[in-house]
Amino acid sequence: MSQLDINPAHGHDHDHHDHLPHQGHHWRDSKQQFEAGKLGMWLFLSTEILLFGGLFVAYAVWRANHPEIFEYGSQFLDTFWGGLNTCVLLLSSMTMAMAVTYSARGQMKAVAICLVLTLFGAGGFMVIKYIEYNHKIHEGLLPGMYFYEKPEASYMWLPLDEQGREAEAAAALSAEEQSAAFAAQVQLESEMPPAPANAEIWTKSPAATGPEGFTDSKLKVETSELRAFLPDSVIGKVENSGPLLKFAEDTSPNKELHLAHPLQDPERPVNAQKFFSIYFMMTGLHGIHVIVGGIVITWLLILTLRGRFSYDYYTPIDLGGLYWHIVDVIWIFLFPLFYLI
Amino acid sequence: MLLRPQEKVADMTTLEAGTHERPKLVEDNYLTHTTGLKSWLLTVDHKRIGLMYLVSVLGAFFMGGVFALLVRTQLLTPEGTIMGQDQYNQAFTLHGAIMVFLVIIPSVPASLGNFILPIMLGAKDVAFPRLNLFSYYLWIIGALFFVMAMFTGGLDTGWTFYTPYSTDTNSAMGGVIPALTGAFILGFASIFTGMNFLVTIHRLRPPGMTWFRMPLFPWSIYATSVIQVLATPVLGITLALLVVERAFGIGIFNPALGGDPVLYQHFFWFYSHPAVYIMILPAMGVISELISVHSHRHIFGYSFIAWSSIAIAVFSFLVWGHHMFTSGQSGLVSVIFSAITFSVAIPSAVKIFNWLATMYKGTISWNTPMLYGMGFLFIFTIGGLTGLHLGTLATDVHLHDTYFVVAHFHYVMMGSALLAFIGGIHHWWPKMTGKMYNENAGRFAWFLVFVGFNVTFLSQFMLGSQGMPRRYATYPEDAGFQIYHMISTYGSYVMGLGFVVTAIYLVASLFSGRKAPANPWGGRSLEWQCASPPPWDNFAEQPVVGDCYDFTVLEWSEKEQGYVWRSDIPHPDGSPAAESEGSH
Amino acid sequence: MSFLGSVAGTLLAFNDPLVPTSGQGTFWMPESASTQAPFVDHVFDFITVLSYFFQIVITIVLVWFAIRYRKRKGQVNFEDDGPVHNTALELTWTLVPLFLVVGIFYVGMAGFLDLRRAPSSAYEVSVTAQKWSWSFDHPEYGVNQAGVVTVPVGRPVEFLMTSADVLHSCFVPAFRVKQDIIPGRYSRLWFEATKPGVYQLYCTEYCGTDHSKMLALVEVLPEDQFQETMGKLATEYMDLPEQDLPTYALDRLYNRCSSCHSLDGSTAVGPSFKGLWDRTANGETVFKDGRRLSDMIGPGKEFPEPEDYIRDSILVPQSHIVQNYAGAMPSFQGQLKERQVLALVLMMKYLDRMVDDQGNRIESPDLNELDPGMGEVEASAPEIGDENEFDAVATAGKGG
Repeated sequence: MSQLDINPAHGHDHDHHDHLPHQGHHWRDSKQQFEAGKLGMWLFLSTEILLFGGLFVAYAVWRANHPEIFEYGSQFLDTFWGGLNTCVLLLSSMTMAMAVTYSARGQMKAVAICLVLTLFGAGGFMVIKYIEYNHKIHEGLLPGMYFYEKPEASYMWLPLDEQGREAEAAAALSAEEQSAAFAAQVQLESEMPPAPANAEIWTKSPAATGPEGFTDSKLKVETSELRAFLPDSVIGKVENSGPLLKFAEDTSPNKELHLAHPLQDPERPVNAQKFFSIYFMMTGLHGIHVIVGGIVITWLLILTLRGRFSYDYYTPIDLGGLYWHIVDVIWIFLFPLFYLI
Repeated sequence: MLLRPQEKVADMTTLEAGTHERPKLVEDNYLTHTTGLKSWLLTVDHKRIGLMYLVSVLGAFFMGGVFALLVRTQLLTPEGTIMGQDQYNQAFTLHGAIMVFLVIIPSVPASLGNFILPIMLGAKDVAFPRLNLFSYYLWIIGALFFVMAMFTGGLDTGWTFYTPYSTDTNSAMGGVIPALTGAFILGFASIFTGMNFLVTIHRLRPPGMTWFRMPLFPWSIYATSVIQVLATPVLGITLALLVVERAFGIGIFNPALGGDPVLYQHFFWFYSHPAVYIMILPAMGVISELISVHSHRHIFGYSFIAWSSIAIAVFSFLVWGHHMFTSGQSGLVSVIFSAITFSVAIPSAVKIFNWLATMYKGTISWNTPMLYGMGFLFIFTIGGLTGLHLGTLATDVHLHDTYFVVAHFHYVMMGSALLAFIGGIHHWWPKMTGKMYNENAGRFAWFLVFVGFNVTFLSQFMLGSQGMPRRYATYPEDAGFQIYHMISTYGSYVMGLGFVVTAIYLVASLFSGRKAPANPWGGRSLEWQCASPPPWDNFAEQPVVGDCYDFTVLEWSEKEQGYVWRSDIPHPDGSPAAESEGSH
Repeated sequence: MSFLGSVAGTLLAFNDPLVPTSGQGTFWMPESASTQAPFVDHVFDFITVLSYFFQIVITIVLVWFAIRYRKRKGQVNFEDDGPVHNTALELTWTLVPLFLVVGIFYVGMAGFLDLRRAPSSAYEVSVTAQKWSWSFDHPEYGVNQAGVVTVPVGRPVEFLMTSADVLHSCFVPAFRVKQDIIPGRYSRLWFEATKPGVYQLYCTEYCGTDHSKMLALVEVLPEDQFQETMGKLATEYMDLPEQDLPTYALDRLYNRCSSCHSLDGSTAVGPSFKGLWDRTANGETVFKDGRRLSDMIGPGKEFPEPEDYIRDSILVPQSHIVQNYAGAMPSFQGQLKERQVLALVLMMKYLDRMVDDQGNRIESPDLNELDPGMGEVEASAPEIGDENEFDAVATAGKGG
């Protein structure tokens, strides 16, 4: 191809003829090309890690500021599916590593089998991810403002009054109880030290001149939480869902146990939706990488079946393998961060 | 590879008449090697991609410049002259966003770097030519997203996209998400370019070119690429978070949802401060070449200049907090960031002194690239010294977010980075196009640009220290700001005129310029050893690497109208022992 | 925005418009009017002089080299006998700037730490920034200002600032102080003004359309004039005609109620003010002990008029707690002057003229024809207002 092409492989090349078809004209030899490819891949992987690194920092800052949201939110994730996915991904990483080893030995049939298995792993991961996402979407455990759109989405749970127990529901929500709650709150507030007698008490916090203000009152924070971005209709739906606040488990025989949607849970921490926001962001970005990985593996499989690789040229398989491992490693961090702790 | 080696086809085109004596054959260079639109749009040749980048970046520069002139015209009077508040906010936002993301960041690395770097290394191409083309198209797509932002409600967040303004749909205009998407895509264009250069420099250096025999331009590109690869992904994810925040209301930066708007500033500046060095480092590399070649003098303190580039790249990751001294971050954090910020001043100062020392006892040609080089030394010194005022905690509190900051970063970004880019264009114009531009027109335009620039931005230092806040469409009448604004605006018109003149004579040179010799300035790095314009594969044979800053072996040839190897010194090609002549 | 805007309008109606003092600044710096300013100026001048020195030296050397070593005509090749490396020189121009910047850093840091630490005796002003206006509260005097903040000279003043929407930044060039203002957070800025005058205050963090019009003035007054102004501002409602009282209450007093009582009918800690007057006048309210308000209002009963009930609710809120509410309201006895209570009662009475169904302010409400007889509030409840020195004035104004 060029005068500089002094590839020692030329002499005993059994797959190619005059020159190596994979070799660019600007390389001196395929070793140089391979090393450059590998260096490029590692650089790319470092950018991937930094990309996820940003999200991990966001996770860390968020969790440090609001640990209760994460403790509360993680109970909505199913460790079984998460664990299964971890196993699937680890196995697929193993088959990918085997594919690289076999290609170094030139056993291209075994490479193809391993790639198919890896592809199954990628597909399996996405199927399980689909099951999990589908479940979350069905239950209304959605990121951001969509979290507030279907407060009644938890279909396994019914409000008491819909089960024909209106009286019970009414009792549960009696004004007495609400008053008691407020009285307790007032009690708490009155325990704060009294203001100096000579000072005029300034009850307004400076921020309260804003649209909703930021006060310590949980109720106010909840309202500001909603007001921040929700359309008025939805705010009305949530705010007027008073009778929905108390739920009873639907004990029909074939119903599984489900957790109530956080909006139906008066004990939920403020901004519980943030857990699902970052969950969907991080696993979603990871899912995109799995899909890209699947496409890459498919491409590698096609090239393998066409006989493009041999023991002295399998750079794409090697680099594809590196990429697939990094996808795996990121999941290894995501799984405990969301499901376990 | 899309380009197949093929024998050149005769009479594809005819060359403009020149004064030289060469036979009027059709030359086989990278411009004529293949023809047709497709051969350009799908090219993987680094030179063509570099040229396409150059044209695109200059197009964006024109747009950004028009917005700049609009902004300056608006500020002629306290109540504003031509725009309403919202229009002004859009104008300065688009000026900033276009200049930063579309112009300065890709300017030197993606256009000049793409063209020159592989040739300087004696390589036939960058390491990953298809990735190179891909990042060019990413740039185009990113630019289209910015255009889309203008037509989907406009963009008025400032180029920094500060939260919660940018994520609040009641505040910022509708173009935020397209603009963020555009910046995200441009970020990846920048990452891929950086990766490509890193691998190219690591793996494609020719035998004999050790790290410390590389020209300084590749060193600075190397330092830049490290920053591009390590910092830009963080910007990517930050912008992605902003998009999600604005679209879904996830609340990571929204205080109403327990988020932290200052966290965004940390994320943003973690990229965007290093990005400042993405802009200035390649410019410094260009200046190292311009000063040494046009002084015909071996660069002084090679290793100090090389290491100072690396030092700047390393420190650049540790100083982002100096953009946030008044943001309410803790005092201790501010003190630490201030201390590290000053450490960046040292390698910059070292470079300035080394460039000056390079001129000592040189033979300085007063041609346009050298004028840009000397202008850079003057302007960058002002930019660097005023950085001291801003890095100092007590004075930064007063100066932050005033025109003092505006003037400072224009001295660094515009007067230094962009004018070095323009100087680099002049320096490598004969190599890229094969034509010489009109030298006197070049000197005249440089004078306009240099004077216009300093008039525009020197006055803004006083404006800022007197208290004029930035991003103001109007300003109080009685604060004494108007006179400075008027000086600044008139200066910007002179500078704009200078750029128009530059564009005219450069374009004219394409049609009527003298044929450029292989080595018009007397450079020693490898790009001056191949023809102008270079053949499609740069070097038929691996070039011999010598000391790229030893100019004593060259002499002017009237016949070539350029520099050639001295007749009284044996060429290293003939006698390998003679290569030692290059080392001191 | 409209809320703060109308406050500004009200203020301007009572004060002559202020203009910034045209002080004597230097070439670089504006007038210096705080205790911190001289120090900042010294640091600035020090760095500037250093910069002049380096800039001039570098420029002279640059021009000298460019001329002295210019290429002569006809020169075809080049001798290069200059040095290409000199470690001693390199170390000199590495270490000398290093020592200089270490010095600059240290000086700047010391001043910065002083800028951040407010003396504990500082006079506190609560500042709320909102697109695109400023609101200043003086908790010590119960005074709210907008557009202008009045502070004493020679006494440390601390701004406790927050934002109601996006980022803002408070910048007073004459004091050399600046601090970003962040929604959902408090940030602090302090200064001690050294001379009376009027100084410009800017917003320096880009905040949208009218960012450049988000200005305010700092009026620095000698201590006695400051006390006088505060006293005047605290009692300015005394001079208001009655038809201005509802607007005054909504502008100046309601922000103390807003965290518990909405204007749009939504329920918070306390009942909404929307429709409150109708519920009261019609006696629909039911109390926790089961009594109905209709049984309590009327001649000879507990509350002769509906106004009396509202007045009672403000001053002695715990005596009658409405059903379904916890009775969380503190007493405002002693905090509100009698005429302010009257203003609040009138505000509730005419709320529907000032506020639409969504709780938004109506521009220029029609309050010219108020219901006659509203002055009876004071007349029927003299025993509570006895200790109030302004009561006589308030009662005297009832016929208007």
